[in-house]
Amino acid sequence: MNAAADPALAVPDDAAVPAESEATVIANPAPAGRWGHRHLLDVDVLSESDLDLVMRTADTMAGVLARPIPKVPTLRGWGITILFYEASTRTRVSFEVAAKNLSADVVNIAAASSSVSKGESLIDTVRTIEALGARMLVMRHATSGAPYLAAEHFSGSVLNGGDGWHAHPTQALLDLYTLRARLPGGSVRGKKIVILGDVLHSRVARSNLWSLTAAGADVWVCGPSTLLRGFETWSRAGVAGSRGFTVTSDLRAALRDADAVMALRIQRERMASGLLPSLREYAARFGLTRERLALAKPDALVMHPGPMNEGVEIAPDVASGAQSVIEDQVANGVAVRMALLYLLAGARE
Amino acid sequence: MSAGRGRLGGGALSSGGAPSSPVASSPVGARLADLEISRAWLVDPASEREGPGEIVVEDGILVAVTWLEGAEAVGIDATSVVVAPGLVDLHAHLREPGNEDAETVATGLAAAAHGGFTTVCAMPNTDPAADDPAVVVRMRDAAAASGSPVELLVHGAVTMARGGEQLARLGELADIGVVGFSDDGSPVRSATIFRNALTYAGMLGLPILDHPEDGSQTEGAEANEGLVATVLGLRGWPVAAEAVAVARDLAILAEVVREVAGARLHLTHVSTAASLDLVRRAKADGLPVTCDVTPHHLALSDEWVAGARRFAWAALASDGSARDPWRDEAIVAAPYDPSTRVNPPLRSAMDAAACRTALRDGTADAIATDHAPHTDVDKVVEFGLAANGISGIETALGLTLAAVDAGEFSLPTAIRALTSGPAAVLGGRTAARGLVEGAPADLVVFDRSATWRVDAEAFASKGKNTPLLGMELPGRVLLTVAGGRIAYEAPDA
Repeated sequence: MNAAADPALAVPDDAAVPAESEATVIANPAPAGRWGHRHLLDVDVLSESDLDLVMRTADTMAGVLARPIPKVPTLRGWGITILFYEASTRTRVSFEVAAKNLSADVVNIAAASSSVSKGESLIDTVRTIEALGARMLVMRHATSGAPYLAAEHFSGSVLNGGDGWHAHPTQALLDLYTLRARLPGGSVRGKKIVILGDVLHSRVARSNLWSLTAAGADVWVCGPSTLLRGFETWSRAGVAGSRGFTVTSDLRAALRDADAVMALRIQRERMASGLLPSLREYAARFGLTRERLALAKPDALVMHPGPMNEGVEIAPDVASGAQSVIEDQVANGVAVRMALLYLLAGARE
Repeated sequence: MSAGRGRLGGGALSSGGAPSSPVASSPVGARLADLEISRAWLVDPASEREGPGEIVVEDGILVAVTWLEGAEAVGIDATSVVVAPGLVDLHAHLREPGNEDAETVATGLAAAAHGGFTTVCAMPNTDPAADDPAVVVRMRDAAAASGSPVELLVHGAVTMARGGEQLARLGELADIGVVGFSDDGSPVRSATIFRNALTYAGMLGLPILDHPEDGSQTEGAEANEGLVATVLGLRGWPVAAEAVAVARDLAILAEVVREVAGARLHLTHVSTAASLDLVRRAKADGLPVTCDVTPHHLALSDEWVAGARRFAWAALASDGSARDPWRDEAIVAAPYDPSTRVNPPLRSAMDAAACRTALRDGTADAIATDHAPHTDVDKVVEFGLAANGISGIETALGLTLAAVDAGEFSLPTAIRALTSGPAAVLGGRTAARGLVEGAPADLVVFDRSATWRVDAEAFASKGKNTPLLGMELPGRVLLTVAGGRIAYEAPDA
């Protein structure tokens, strides 16, 4: 879609914004698709055509971002609350920028500075946020599944910004968007994509498993055996409706002829809980170095959801090397989040 | 049939005699039962018999049990009104004293009666814990004040404040009549303390009821380790955590029993094939061990955490492995429903099958409810922060009968596991269960052909925390008679 020819985006039907002169309304960015999800809690519910709709909408948003003033009135008057129970900079700011680019009214709540720390229940917090006028809630929580509870008690849309070990749907979608933008052929179908590192504790890994397998990629997860616990069982069961994935601790086998490698952050507390001998040993055996990357295809993409421990899971020269698309991931994150806010605002259920 | 006598029969319930009330009301407490049930299906574990029959209760005494044969028996089968001995629950949390918002002795006993139970063993994890006779006395006073005819028995704590360090006042507790000792909710972590408790309780002639869990494997655990937990990103609760604890307990029991003949171990809510195999072998070796399984562990599986709502036997593939709920498109509810969070966790469909096998082959002596009522404040929160437990005493019979309907085990096996089985675990501390003429009537009457909807509003328990809400279960309880008195009577009965 040629976004430049379409200076603004359609306003969702019930958005309280009249079309303004400077905001020429364009057709729905995806006339062929229809978005049927009120919430975005996990990627497991997204069909291949849903994924396609998100990608095409994100293309339009990328067009908006390319303008001198990257702002459209699409969600003017919409209250969006960003409620984060876990520290985060990039995801929170990315959501905030995305919402502001769509002219929404954004309220940020960091859990530590709110009544949450006084023991207010999540349900009360969500109801309060709704009473204060929010129509969308972006939330991050340390507990897997918490957004499902919020969604039950919120009449608007809940967008999961990461829950426990479970899901990080916007990260998976921006990863897919980045892969499609940079891989030859513009598709992940049949491409070998490696998710490397602390898979056990990773919501990024889980969400990418769903979206990448749904999009037809040949997904490999690789890491020390202690950090792959349970995934061999999952891989044997397969992912419903898809071709499954490969689990291995053999880094060379995983990297061989890969089209893209996604390194995951290693947390220091993994040593304390006895899952790894040391960060140094991890870096020595599983760090993504230039030599190891050479096993992959010559133009293989290097990705990382951030924040990085350079020198541990990824060598600095790889992180900033020619094959790295890590900065693209950050930029694409805004476009993809704009697309999701837009689609959820127009959702009917 | 005399006026004023309730009359049940013909596969349906009918009330006879004086307007609306089948029995004369008693001024204090529950009314003495005075009723006649004709053309019902009797299940009597005492005589190991089931079949068409009739019973008569006069002034609370079971005066006649008649087995029908030939032409009289035509048209009566196990799907009609069933009469069985009153159910016995070895394991229920009544929350009083200390957490009366979640349950009281009175509401817990009312819930028991609603579920068909006439004897309930209260667990000692109250606040304060039942580590001292005074707490037991207080629970009994509450039972007496409730007027419920349901028999309240109490397990004492193994250690002071269930802290796992200093033995509770085991002798004094035995003197006032506790029926066992348990630190349920938290296992006795120290093997030495466990050994000492088993030895001392053996001297007192009482069993230790251990909650088998190796806590070092379950720190922060949220759901049974397996496909569901991995996909949902929940901290896995390994099968090995239970099996290791069971193996420890059995190894210690084998040594203790050589010197203390009275030592007895009861493993409660055993939930895995691995643990049940260990118990099976120990029983074959002649060790004095018994165990129970819960209705939810035999009928539900971990896919319920993901939002599936099919019985565990329907989640089993023909090769005996667990089916994939995502592949089957069996997910019908939102995932992470905190009402599916329980300790031990809902296990795989294979483990649930092992629980049913254990009932068939006698490895499991009893079905115990592990009734665990909670307030919404503690339960309707993030899955990872939710209290463990299912409010289960009112659905135990229905879930068990669902397994019978599915052909998983016979009706007599189910009734035995809910009556004479647990009564045997308690030794002589509750009346033996059977349809015995001349004894006070202690029985449950339920309609096998009538399903009922699990409804929070209809629960007598304060705890509405069950994933079964809205489901249809078989076997509506029509009447519960405890110690000769009416404990529960269905509103339209």
